Amino acid sequence: MVQHDTSVKQIILGLNEKGQFIIEDLDDTHVFVDASCVEQLRLDIDEILNENTYKVEESK
Amino acid sequence: MGTKRGPSDVGEESASRRRRDEGPIHDVGLPEDQDIEEDYFDKLVVPKHATMDAIAQSHNFQRDSVSYIFGDHDYTWLPLKQDHESRPLWITEDGHIILEGFSPIAEKAIDFLITIAEPVSRPSHIHEYKLTPYSLYAAVSVGLETEDIIEVLSRLSKVPVPDSILGLIRDCTLSYGKVKLVLKHNRYFVESSHPEMLQTLLRDPIIKESRLIGEEDSANTGGLITGKAPNAKDLSIPGVKKDIADPNKLAAAATSAAAAGAAGAASSTQRDDEIFAVVGLDKDDDDAENDDVHSFEINSQSVETVKKRCNELDYPMLEEYDFRNDTLNPDLEIDLKPITVIRPYQEKSLSKMFGNGRARSGIIVLPCGAGKTLVGITAACTVKKSTLVLCTSSVSVLQWKQQFLLWSNIKPHQIAMFTSDQKEKFLGAAGIVISTYSMVANTRNRSHDSQKMMNFLKSREWGFLLLDEVHVVPANMFRKVLTTIAAHAKLGLTATLVREDEKIDDLNFLIGPKLYEANWMDLASRGHIANVQCAEVWCPMTPAFYREYLRETSRKRTLLYVMNPNKFQACQYLIRYHEERGDKIIVFSDNVYALVAYARKLEKPFIYGETSQQERVRILQNFQHNPKINTIFLSKVGDTSIDLPEATCLIQVSSHYGSRRQEAQRLGRILRAKRRNDEGFNAFFYSLVSKDTQEMYYSTKRQQFLIDQGYAFKVITNLDGMDQEQDLVYSTPTEQLSLLQSVLLAQESEADLNDDVEPDVDDLTGNTSRRSGSGGGSVLSHVGTSIAGGSGGAKRTVGGLKSLSGGDQMAYIEYNKAVNLKDKDKNKGEHHALFKKYYNKK
Repeated sequence: MVQHDTSVKQIILGLNEKGQFIIEDLDDTHVFVDASCVEQLRLDIDEILNENTYKVEESK
Repeated sequence: MGTKRGPSDVGEESASRRRRDEGPIHDVGLPEDQDIEEDYFDKLVVPKHATMDAIAQSHNFQRDSVSYIFGDHDYTWLPLKQDHESRPLWITEDGHIILEGFSPIAEKAIDFLITIAEPVSRPSHIHEYKLTPYSLYAAVSVGLETEDIIEVLSRLSKVPVPDSILGLIRDCTLSYGKVKLVLKHNRYFVESSHPEMLQTLLRDPIIKESRLIGEEDSANTGGLITGKAPNAKDLSIPGVKKDIADPNKLAAAATSAAAAGAAGAASSTQRDDEIFAVVGLDKDDDDAENDDVHSFEINSQSVETVKKRCNELDYPMLEEYDFRNDTLNPDLEIDLKPITVIRPYQEKSLSKMFGNGRARSGIIVLPCGAGKTLVGITAACTVKKSTLVLCTSSVSVLQWKQQFLLWSNIKPHQIAMFTSDQKEKFLGAAGIVISTYSMVANTRNRSHDSQKMMNFLKSREWGFLLLDEVHVVPANMFRKVLTTIAAHAKLGLTATLVREDEKIDDLNFLIGPKLYEANWMDLASRGHIANVQCAEVWCPMTPAFYREYLRETSRKRTLLYVMNPNKFQACQYLIRYHEERGDKIIVFSDNVYALVAYARKLEKPFIYGETSQQERVRILQNFQHNPKINTIFLSKVGDTSIDLPEATCLIQVSSHYGSRRQEAQRLGRILRAKRRNDEGFNAFFYSLVSKDTQEMYYSTKRQQFLIDQGYAFKVITNLDGMDQEQDLVYSTPTEQLSLLQSVLLAQESEADLNDDVEPDVDDLTGNTSRRSGSGGGSVLSHVGTSIAGGSGGAKRTVGGLKSLSGGDQMAYIEYNKAVNLKDKDKNKGEHHALFKKYYNKK
């Protein structure tokens, strides 16, 4: 089971379209997922969220 | 070494979240893991210095635990001088200078540093500067000498000045600025206090040719005959003159400048002191000017060639205008009114410009609302020659004129405006013309009147060229302006010398070095500009919006995160909150679609590109005087030059990507707040950001500039009390869904509207070229637009792309009509017929 906020849930749902790993969609902040996918999921989410982070180095 | 980390630790701890990331002190440095080890060993070896004490030891410990943050920029190994505690500077090998802002002599050090280095970051306690070739060039141009710079630096520094820095300073100052091109008595002289320099130059065949050997020279020297043979012997003879800046005259110059500054005789001594203080801690800088100055005259036709050649030879020439000895151009009767009072920093910036009694070309950087206009006017009053003022829009043309009339005793008939609907000449021999960049740089079909006016501008010699908001102008446009207008001295004014396209460096050579840059925080603390609380409000995306956001392509995404219902609510909440406090609020939205949607929903007046002039004036006046209208919505049109001293609160809903300058300019709207001197007064600047979207990225980037100026952004993740507010818009899921529907239905181009609202106030070069590249297919509309174009084709090119992306839609036609209407409005009647034609083509 993964707990998350609402926007991360949307990311997860998006990812789910590629690789069906959600077992059950519980509510706004919880989904029940395949345990084997959790690590991969975590990486993917990090990557997506990092796209929106600004690093000082890039501006130099 | 230990103590080095001491102060920075303090800074670190007190710093906000973001400031830490950005590292005001130790910037970049990648935290590479392997570095930790190395650094660690470094440090173990280092503690061999005598000044280490118990306190330093404890810092030492801390330093190790944080050292990985600094990566390559860990300078703990730098040896300290014995009396380092009384010295305020750190100098690192790559040219960064770190200043302890709390040191007792910091103020003097700042004066000095600002002359020789670029400020990188200036929060309240620790300042960071960087030595660059440009900054050194600027330093030399205000009269500092290589050895002085080095001496002062080493005197202020806690650590010995690294050899690499010494090398940099020597290299850069050796050739820069030693040669001056002086216009005296309407003849051009190449002048230098170093005869060897001139000698070197004269050895160059091109320069040799353009040398003019006049009677005066021969009369002066007698033995000039051999002057053609460029050897040391005769060079020292020809044209050895006493520079105007002998001590008396220097004082006279200072006095005249001060008198022009209407500060009266009392301040003339003070100003004199200031010059010395500014030049910094070192009395002998000006002595250099008391030495003999050697010069030779060059042919005025070949000035350009010589200038170019000198650049090639790596002896860039500084241009000075000896305006008091210019007899050919008639004087202009202009002086500041006696009531005009110049603030200390304005005086300081002007003293840099007129430091030796001549006008230097350069750029002065002052925050918005700090009186750039007055600086410009004072400079014009000092030069007292015909002046050409260039600014960005016709609105600011009007404002400049009003300011001139307000602050100086110039007669109204001596000021002329040259805009699309006003083409006048001044009466009399000398005067002031105020115009816009696009009017002057435009080369395409002009109306008869403007052509006539243009010829008039070209035919004259201008004593002084004043360039407002100099950062916005694309370099090529500048070149055009500078080549068509013959001006002796140029002064650029700006608040934000940053550009996303890194073209700032061009300005250095097109106009001149940066003469002065004010410290925002300093001005705020002295009450010249308002104190501002900056906050970034994070609004979570609603699930439905975020789902669409993830699906959409980039352009539509913009619209989705701007229209986020939570943002809507936050905006409404903030407006309500501040209206209750009695603040006047401006809401900025770059995105016109969002602007209209927000304003309609919240029932507030709004202004954007389409809004007619009368409507604008009406809304702005209501905003200023009507207690019932406390909030207005502005699109990009409000970014610069709209003077609304009533505004005290600013909410930013959407913005132009990561433009640091826009952020600063917008902040500038509330810096001039009237009420700034009230006890405990704060202006507020909110930036609404949709969480987990690209907006976060842009927003952080945009804030960089302000953070470097010492502003701290608070992050508000949750607005207190917003939950309790009852009748917020879009609070039910159904309403949100219908909003989402309408957003999704909106054309992609809507997300993009921000670009063509008011292109002529912005440096759209980057955008334009990119866009026209991608939209190159729309030849037809392209042609149509460039014909229709009265002022700068940039916006129409963007419009051309619109037709590609959504041209067949009603929304598009509606919109473009708006653009053209606006243009028509601006260039009255000039292309009404063409506009119709263009419209019919669709």
